[in-house]
Amino acid sequence: MLRAENLTKRYRQGDKEVVALLGFTHAFPQGATAVVGPSGSGKTTLLNLLAGLDLPTEGGVYLGEIPLHRLSEDERAGVRLRHMGFVFQQWNLIPTLTAWENVAFPLLLAGWPLGKRRARALELLEGVGLLKRAHHLPSRLSGGEQQRVALARALALDPPILFADEPTGNLDAEAKEQVAALLFKAGKERTLILVTHDLELARRAERILHLKGGRLLWEEVPSPNP
Amino acid sequence: MEVFHLVLRNLLARPVRSLLTLLGVLIATASMVLFLSFGEGLRRALFQELSRVGPAIQVVPEGAEGFAFSAYPEITPEALRALEEAGKALGVKALIPTLLLARGGFDPKTGFFFQGLPPGVSPSLLYPGLRVRESRLLPSAQGAVAGAKIAQRGGLTLGSPLRLSPKVALKVEGILEESGGLADNLLFAPLPALQAVLGTKNVGAVLVALRPGQKAEEVARALEGAVPGLKAQTTGEVMRFAERALRISDLVRFGISLVALVVGGLLVANTVMMSVYERTREFGVMRALGARRGFIFRLVVLEALFLALLGGVGGLLLGSLASAAINLYTLKEVGLALSAITPRLALFALGVALGLGILAGLFPAQQASRLPVVEALGRV
Ligand SMILES: Nc1ncnc2c1ncn2[C@@H]1O[C@H](COP(=O)(O)OP(=O)(O)O)[C@@H](O)[C@H]1O
Ligand SMILES: [Mg+2]
Repeated sequence: MLRAENLTKRYRQGDKEVVALLGFTHAFPQGATAVVGPSGSGKTTLLNLLAGLDLPTEGGVYLGEIPLHRLSEDERAGVRLRHMGFVFQQWNLIPTLTAWENVAFPLLLAGWPLGKRRARALELLEGVGLLKRAHHLPSRLSGGEQQRVALARALALDPPILFADEPTGNLDAEAKEQVAALLFKAGKERTLILVTHDLELARRAERILHLKGGRLLWEEVPSPNP
Repeated sequence: MEVFHLVLRNLLARPVRSLLTLLGVLIATASMVLFLSFGEGLRRALFQELSRVGPAIQVVPEGAEGFAFSAYPEITPEALRALEEAGKALGVKALIPTLLLARGGFDPKTGFFFQGLPPGVSPSLLYPGLRVRESRLLPSAQGAVAGAKIAQRGGLTLGSPLRLSPKVALKVEGILEESGGLADNLLFAPLPALQAVLGTKNVGAVLVALRPGQKAEEVARALEGAVPGLKAQTTGEVMRFAERALRISDLVRFGISLVALVVGGLLVANTVMMSVYERTREFGVMRALGARRGFIFRLVVLEALFLALLGGVGGLLLGSLASAAINLYTLKEVGLALSAITPRLALFALGVALGLGILAGLFPAQQASRLPVVEALGRV
């Protein structure tokens, strides 16, 4: 279980102080949680803090009993590798590596041998319907395909937590639907934290957190789609 | 090995840039290797030669240490007599006055080097192991014996005339077998004939052969004490002297090649820095996925190291090729391999390339691994 306690992030810009996130407290249960809010409301900041990519000015993040905010940079990297997966809005993939090599990258970091890496990567690519694209470089994949490869990579080490920051932001309707379907499927038995300003997408999550001006306004449980 | 694969991928993704950088390092290393190979070649030729020389001591005028053969002969008959007496008192095996005379200019094609020897003294006393190929080893008063290479180069056969001056002419009376040493390039002639050419009774140097058990250093010091104004050098001293001179010239030549090396290093640093800058987002993604900072650091350092080492190995090969080509020429022209790629030179070149790679990679690697993850992710 991922828990945020009184999470606060302030940025100093010259002599002005920007409060990107203020006193955010929430426990993320299993299943999909969408975080929505207007641009600049602190969504990305929240995701960065929850994933240990950045450190809070105040408050803390707990992964079970582990206080993420107290760990060193490299320790947090280790936690991310084993417990978290990421899908960003774009430029997710390492451009010089083929699709399967991208998927296998976390496995490389985890020290898997080549044969096992390849087998696991191909299995994951099959899961997102891209087995035929395994040996293509990212530049030869469409935007939707790139996001599916990124999702496959996020699942490589079967992490309990999945982060996605505007994963469908740059996609057309059809590709968006493919990625969304795969994402929510993967999020079912995981903790999926989906940052988006797309309310339609957010409504497919089990909970929606509404952010504004760096504060958590309210938590919505959307009614199931008609 | 796995990280290396990523490095290779990245370099191959920008083939032209990688190749140009590689070429820069390659040329820098090759020029350094070639520059330094001349010192090594000289050193090798010299020491081979010296270890082949029979007499253990060479007496020359003071201030003409090292190799003063071609200088104007300055040892007077009086000094020579005093030296002979001192030598007799010390019980040396032989004292051989000699002088070197160059004729026909410095072009090795037309130039001849004569070494004068007293009547009755065989060249094989100076260069043990010398053997005759044609006719005789010991020239008569009007004759000369030619080394194998000079005979070939000069087209000398038995009976060929050698005009040393309007008054002095000698005939080739013997041709020697090739020995691989300096003697191959010399013409041995009677000392009085050469002195007549120069119009002097002086000699250029006196070679001293020792009896078994005699200590070269002690004899040399005693000879110096007996005849002021002369310097007696043992083969060891000559070697040390030559080594000192060679080391200085090594330094100078390394200094010159350093310019090329620094440029090569900057090339690598620039390439790696550029690739680091372009890959900021990529590194951000890697770290978000769980790569530690050391992983990124290694990735970048390895890239620089790989470029530098590959360029270094290529430069060593190119330098060796150039060295071989130069030797082909100098062997033909002067009968001497001027350039040598010794194992220690090869090691040194690779070491320099390695150092270059590390130096060029450290800063970009530091930059790449120090950047906060969120900042790296923010840059597309
Ligand atoms: N590195 C930063 N330095 C200064 N201000 C920042 C920085 N990152 C984000 N902010 C500010 O924090 C606020 C929240 O940003 P962000 O979390 O990116 O919002 P969102 O993702 O909801 O658009 C914004 O006002 C933004 O300008
Ligand atoms: Mg954002």
